[in-house]
Amino acid sequence: MAVNLQQADASSVLEARRIHNQKLARQHDQTRATWFPLTVLGVLLALPLLQLTGNYNYLLHLVLFTASYAVMASGWNIIGGFAGYISLGHAVFFAIGGYFSGVLLARYGISSLLTAPLAGLAAAACGYIVGLITLKVRGPSFIISSIALLMIARILFDHWEFIGGANGLSLPVTDLPVQTAKLPYYYAFVLMAAFTVWATYRIKHSKFGLGLRALSKDEVKAESAGINTRFYKVLAFALSAFFVGMAGAVWGEYLTYLRPNIFLIILVSANLVLMCILGGKGTIAGPVVGAILIVAFNEIFVATLGASEINILATGFVMVLGLMFFPNGVIGTLARKGKLPRVLNWD
Amino acid sequence: MTDILQILILGLALGGVIALMGSGLSLVFGVMRIVNLAHPSLIICGAYVSYWAFKLWGLDPIATLPIAALIMAAIGVLLYRLMFESQAKSARYSEMTVLLTFALAMIVEGFLGAAFTNTQRVTSPEYATDAFFIGSLFIPKGQLYAGCVSLAIIGALTLFLNYSRLGYAIRATTQNREAAELLGVNVNLISMIAFAIGIGLAGAAGSLVSFVFSFFPAKQWEWIAMLMSVVVLGGMGSVLGTVVAALLLSVIAAFVGTWVGATWSTMTFFLALFVILLIRPQGLFGEKPELA
Repeated sequence: MAVNLQQADASSVLEARRIHNQKLARQHDQTRATWFPLTVLGVLLALPLLQLTGNYNYLLHLVLFTASYAVMASGWNIIGGFAGYISLGHAVFFAIGGYFSGVLLARYGISSLLTAPLAGLAAAACGYIVGLITLKVRGPSFIISSIALLMIARILFDHWEFIGGANGLSLPVTDLPVQTAKLPYYYAFVLMAAFTVWATYRIKHSKFGLGLRALSKDEVKAESAGINTRFYKVLAFALSAFFVGMAGAVWGEYLTYLRPNIFLIILVSANLVLMCILGGKGTIAGPVVGAILIVAFNEIFVATLGASEINILATGFVMVLGLMFFPNGVIGTLARKGKLPRVLNWD
Repeated sequence: MTDILQILILGLALGGVIALMGSGLSLVFGVMRIVNLAHPSLIICGAYVSYWAFKLWGLDPIATLPIAALIMAAIGVLLYRLMFESQAKSARYSEMTVLLTFALAMIVEGFLGAAFTNTQRVTSPEYATDAFFIGSLFIPKGQLYAGCVSLAIIGALTLFLNYSRLGYAIRATTQNREAAELLGVNVNLISMIAFAIGIGLAGAAGSLVSFVFSFFPAKQWEWIAMLMSVVVLGGMGSVLGTVVAALLLSVIAAFVGTWVGATWSTMTFFLALFVILLIRPQGLFGEKPELA
């Protein structure tokens, strides 16, 4: 009898702890407007109907481009925003994803749309191994090591003949008519963006996300509170690599060619960091808002000024101004002032 | 044997230049805890100063070195005032400054690319393509001069840091910012001066780089990781460590380049960075157990 009682006690304690953990992780925010992202998703899914009335390929391309960056920026947000480890090397996972699916497509004719999750897993596996090494250091040293990772990957990809070396790899061009040529990629990216946003939401409001936020504030205290910080941050790194790799896979097939000087450039990584900072690091809506802002900036600069050098210059300027005057980003700054519109509160 | 001696000499001469390129980076980190990712782009700025002085007026790059250094130092003061002074109170100071300097590097690259295009440039004074011959050994004059001038400048810097009042103040600020402030050092002013010296050293290195390497604005990304590995191996903030590490790594890279293949010689620096961060994050001469 006594034994039974004890067992009942233990299970009730465990149950109470589970509920407590859930409460800790999930702040019930009554002001959250779940209907807004769902409506946006619905509108985006219906958008290709416009193709019936004319040629809106440019509009579709813009949405697709924004969605691809939303996937990658949200993925970066897991390690950069939640765990506070700024990585400037995420272009490596973009390239790994792109090349993984690209090689499968070029050699065996399997569409990237099917292999994208596998490409994500490949990127995550690489991320896990790299993370075990580089996540030992924090702050500036980690940022430097992530740049070194990018440089090493660039040299390797440039000289690996199997995947085309510096000349890259050409992929078969889709044979769909012009009206529907973009649609598979469009839907892939929009659905991936929706999935990523949902996944980052679930991560942020899980015990795992809580641990990440704890270790971003103070790693020693987090460790002494019983959080396995090493495992947590390596897992976060791998997860963020997963989303970036998945986006890279589909992006490679959409571009129809893979080349190190398109995938493995620091500008790709810089854009992810920039989007998260401008939108708001560590928030769910931030990376999406940032992606929309940066793609809009890019289009305006390219349309009005042309040259890619000016584009780099402008990106740098936006980054400096954003860092100096809005270090919390659009969402963070508005939330701090209590002026965040309900529709943008996705946390 | 002659082979080995030859590679050693070439490695040491290049190592001298790399040491000068890294010393400014190390000084700025030591005094201000800023990892200046824009350092290579500022070196390229200095290189363009010497390049145009040579191209337009035929001035020798070594002669225009002080001019490039002064111009860059002035830019350094400006940058410090505009960008970094206000960051001192930021809670995430080290991360913020890394990202700020990263953005600055992009601005400089974009600006230089728009102004001078991304073509490869190199200043070609007569000695750049000439060489001394000692027996079967040959020593390229350009690299030799550049290496010697670099080491002379670093020597002068060391003397200045060790034997002048300003140097004492800078070293005190490096060792302990609060204590230096308590003892009456104007930490903010010292930071500005050290930052200006660091960027000035970038300009000086640029003048030498202009005839040792070919350069173009986007070249900075290759150099960032190279210089970072030198500075991290030497121990961030230690100028002496930077010199030792630069000579060491550049000799190793020269051997790898000859025996393994030219493409892998740059890889030496990147891999070294990984290995150092793993084994001894504080570097050879670093004092702090953790960098962050």
